[in-house]
Amino acid sequence: MTQSSDQVPHLFNIGKLHELSRRAFIRRSSQLAFMGGAAGYAMGLAGLSDAAAFETEGGYKALVCVFLLGGNDHANTLIPFDAPNYARYNSIRGGLPNEGGIALSQASLASQVLVPRGDQVLTDDMQLALAPTMPRLKARFDQGVMAPLLNVGPLIVPLTRQQFESGNNSGFPRPAKLFSHNDQQSTWQSGEPEGSVSGWGGRLADLAQVRNTNSMFTAINAAGNAVFLSGDEIQPYSIASQGAIEIRGLDRSIYGSSATSEAVRTLLTAGNGHVFGNDYASANARSIQFSGFINDALSNISLSTDFGTGNSLASQLEVVARLIAARDLIGVRRQVFLVATGGFDNHDGLIGTHEGLLAGVDTALDAFYNAMVEVGAANQVTTFTASDFGRTLASNGDGSDHGWGGHHFVLGGAVNGGRFYGTAPQISVDSDDQVGRGRLLPSTSVDQYSATLGKWLGVTQDQIPIVAPNIGNFNTQDLGLLRNGSAE
Amino acid sequence: MSEDSSGALRGETIDAGEACETSLDEVQTARSPASLATVSTLALATAACGGGGGNTTTSGGAPPTGGTPTPTFLTPETDAQAARFALRAGLSVTPGDIREMRSSGYEPWLDNEIGQSIEQSAAQFLSGLGFEQINDDQWFFRSDPADYMIWRQLLSGRNSVRKRAALALSEFFVVSVNNITIWPSTSIGAYWDILVEGAFGNFRDVLERITLDAAMGVFLNTLGNQKADPATGRVPDENFGREIMQLFSIGLFELNIDGTVRTDGAGDPIETYTNEDVTGIAKVFTGYNYNYSGGIGFTDATFGGNTLPIPDAALLRNPMTANPAFQIPNRGDNHSLEEKSFLGTTIPAGTGAQESLRIAMDTLFNHPNVGPFFGQQMIQRLVTSNPSPGYVQRVAQAFNDNGSGVRGDLRAVFKAVLLDEEALSDQSFENPEFGKLREPILRFAQWGRTFGARSDSGFWLMQNLSQSSNRLGQSPLRSPSVFNFFRPGFTPPNSQAAERELLAPEFQLVNETTAAAYVNFMERTIDGRGSWMFDVRATYSDELEIAHDTPALLDRLDLLLTGNQLSQETRDTIAGALGAQTVTEQSSQEAKLAQIHRAVLMVMVSNDYLVQR
Repeated sequence: MTQSSDQVPHLFNIGKLHELSRRAFIRRSSQLAFMGGAAGYAMGLAGLSDAAAFETEGGYKALVCVFLLGGNDHANTLIPFDAPNYARYNSIRGGLPNEGGIALSQASLASQVLVPRGDQVLTDDMQLALAPTMPRLKARFDQGVMAPLLNVGPLIVPLTRQQFESGNNSGFPRPAKLFSHNDQQSTWQSGEPEGSVSGWGGRLADLAQVRNTNSMFTAINAAGNAVFLSGDEIQPYSIASQGAIEIRGLDRSIYGSSATSEAVRTLLTAGNGHVFGNDYASANARSIQFSGFINDALSNISLSTDFGTGNSLASQLEVVARLIAARDLIGVRRQVFLVATGGFDNHDGLIGTHEGLLAGVDTALDAFYNAMVEVGAANQVTTFTASDFGRTLASNGDGSDHGWGGHHFVLGGAVNGGRFYGTAPQISVDSDDQVGRGRLLPSTSVDQYSATLGKWLGVTQDQIPIVAPNIGNFNTQDLGLLRNGSAE
Repeated sequence: MSEDSSGALRGETIDAGEACETSLDEVQTARSPASLATVSTLALATAACGGGGGNTTTSGGAPPTGGTPTPTFLTPETDAQAARFALRAGLSVTPGDIREMRSSGYEPWLDNEIGQSIEQSAAQFLSGLGFEQINDDQWFFRSDPADYMIWRQLLSGRNSVRKRAALALSEFFVVSVNNITIWPSTSIGAYWDILVEGAFGNFRDVLERITLDAAMGVFLNTLGNQKADPATGRVPDENFGREIMQLFSIGLFELNIDGTVRTDGAGDPIETYTNEDVTGIAKVFTGYNYNYSGGIGFTDATFGGNTLPIPDAALLRNPMTANPAFQIPNRGDNHSLEEKSFLGTTIPAGTGAQESLRIAMDTLFNHPNVGPFFGQQMIQRLVTSNPSPGYVQRVAQAFNDNGSGVRGDLRAVFKAVLLDEEALSDQSFENPEFGKLREPILRFAQWGRTFGARSDSGFWLMQNLSQSSNRLGQSPLRSPSVFNFFRPGFTPPNSQAAERELLAPEFQLVNETTAAAYVNFMERTIDGRGSWMFDVRATYSDELEIAHDTPALLDRLDLLLTGNQLSQETRDTIAGALGAQTVTEQSSQEAKLAQIHRAVLMVMVSNDYLVQR
């Protein structure tokens, strides 16, 4: 990985790059003006020039979002272990499975208790244990490179339960369409419910792309399509676990005919005057233009880290790791990735199913961290989790229902790990930090989460509202999760 | 409204100048008299106005004489118009469809299709081929016969229009076989049969049948859902209660009849329900489990070293029951007898399962949102991603009243969707924002039906094609979640569609990976080399006759695959590539087939084909 930047292949000619930058500048400027008006921000002129403002020092940095589709049951992911809080947890969850409930046994948690550094004391002197099937993340916590963020979720302004229940939506605005899967996935990713066209990962990439020779690889999605990585300018590049998908025969012949190959290429990339035809042609053109380049870069990479088999999340993280290993060949210094794994909507069969899902996450994240060590990027890559929502603490018999706030993890060499962030919620279905049945009222907002991660990636103070539009409504803009400073 | 224009509504030859002045309000008020014909002819009356005149002609009718009017139907003027209509209404089109439609008109052709008896049910397919036997093949755990069944349904056979409607319903009332572990194929087969049987029945009946279906019970957790237990703090599962409101009936926001969102004084959308409504209606769906009535037996089966009694597959065709006498084991009544409050309806404490269900179904069914919420999505599935409010309103009105005072008549709804002026007009066809991306399932199904797909074994061994990097990227009845393969409100970011604020649901499946994978999939499907093509193959018998005649071959493919949507430029590109090979009438069958494969591939990967207008 010692290739110098002047050897990096250029996919776009300079004129095209210049045009992209100019358009990005104009669109971002207008977005800034809009944000300024809406959030009461007075943006300095410095905030309008990406090249001058986005952190320019240092080498490679990347963020990897791990999305747990379906709404992770946070209460069986980080479980109270101390006697009084465990007793409350056990009672609200209806006891152990053999008692008709969905609580994990206290004994199974004994080896998984997370002992925070620096005498950190949590709500009600709570001790929290990681799920029994997550021993690797427990070790990463102990190592100091993993930190849980407690009770984070979408908020527009800080809310009390009383304000939430007042029904006064204009005085105390709250995210639209709470508790709905598709809308809260979108809200986590973009700040808006379904239909949103720009996510905060994409907006980060809009700002970060100036650091990249090949800016079209700033945002890469290994999980299909999601709004998270779409920016105002940046369009995410989709990759399969086995690498980029190339169209067979396009450069040679199809059905024994080189004329057919040429015609197929023409047909795939020709707009036809219809909006959808033009959009489909663009997707085809991007696919054809980039796949060979990416696969050439990946063909130089061989990782010794074992990602196992039969774990889709691990396979996605493996291709991300290979792309990061090829970062110099690909011509990128700032990237945002998305991977995802499903099955977390455990209304039924929570016990067993959920522990298995967490085991898959534990294995995949740990392998990815190992791979980052292997490619010399452990301190330069930060991985974090997200999900539709947390779930009810109350049991519905053999599962839990849709909630709001939940617990998440941040992993990487730049993490100030080995301790908790955010505020631990009480173990309760009637306290003021929940809105019924133990659906958590978030005490930390997704905007604070994204602002913290974005700042680490290099977003300047002035640009943070582009990434996290509601950040001005919260006192703390940097949660302190990450050691800031230039990447080595 | 004058007598003159109500005559026009009955389908007499239309004086465009007069009928077109009829406002929608007038049409609405005029719809109560029993003398009015069906809603679809109502739509046709306005179709002649929006269509710009040149699009359609009428046939079979006599000029108005002042006596009893003879029904008159709009008729396609060109083969292309007929083909486009058939490709929206069904899964494919044949030259016979085109001939029939051009002679009798759109509506008689459609009525004839709707009226066809059901050729083969999923249950007949699965039981008839032995997929419900309890033996070492362990069909009771296998979902691959579900794929054989549904691909057999879509790739071949009659009932194209009914199956197309059922497929659209399967993307509204979503259940995925992926999540079903016991008799998955029979379960999803029973679900598919409900949709096929109900496609032109009543929404209210379909809503209740899918609610009580065991596959849905597994998918959204009504099966085994228990009433609250204050002792343990257990509360009813909310999943089905939430999704039946959000996805299967009323949606999240109050809608006007034209599908636009209603707002409050502050200009904010009005939510249809709160979380209290969810917890309230969730109680309705408690107490349900498998229904062992009707002589369901058990057969011991040994697997993994264990011997277990396996219930007959027919169990999965029984609607779930809340009657503990029919449940095994009988654990007593688990239906909540608490008061159940939701959407302004209160079911008094002490009300049993059956009555509670009736009230809940009626409450949802009669909510004013259902017509526009459901209607808009059916328009999106069959015709266009961005219908005008007027189009949604006309379909919603058909939902609200089929012209005979019946609410929820799906036959009337689908006819209103397909026969609407906006669907049929030349202006729409020329509009660069009209239409939709054909979803991958439709492309593959159309290929099979158009080119005479056959199963060598008779078992239709076609797989789950969900894989997105080396298969089709979409497989029927295998949605990744209850939110379908794509969302009705999806707009692809960073696109021309986004710049114009257009919805494009099917684009949720499109990215650099799937775009390439689709071409690869078709390339190996068309010539049968794909590893998934070991049993099903196309015959191309009609195309072999004209493989040597490039213009004739291209004309046929353009008409049957796209409804003549290929631009001259696209046709020239394809013709040029075909001309690079010399294929004559005397050429080998192999050479002719290769030429056909090239032509079919080039048409089916072209953007002119992919966008259905």
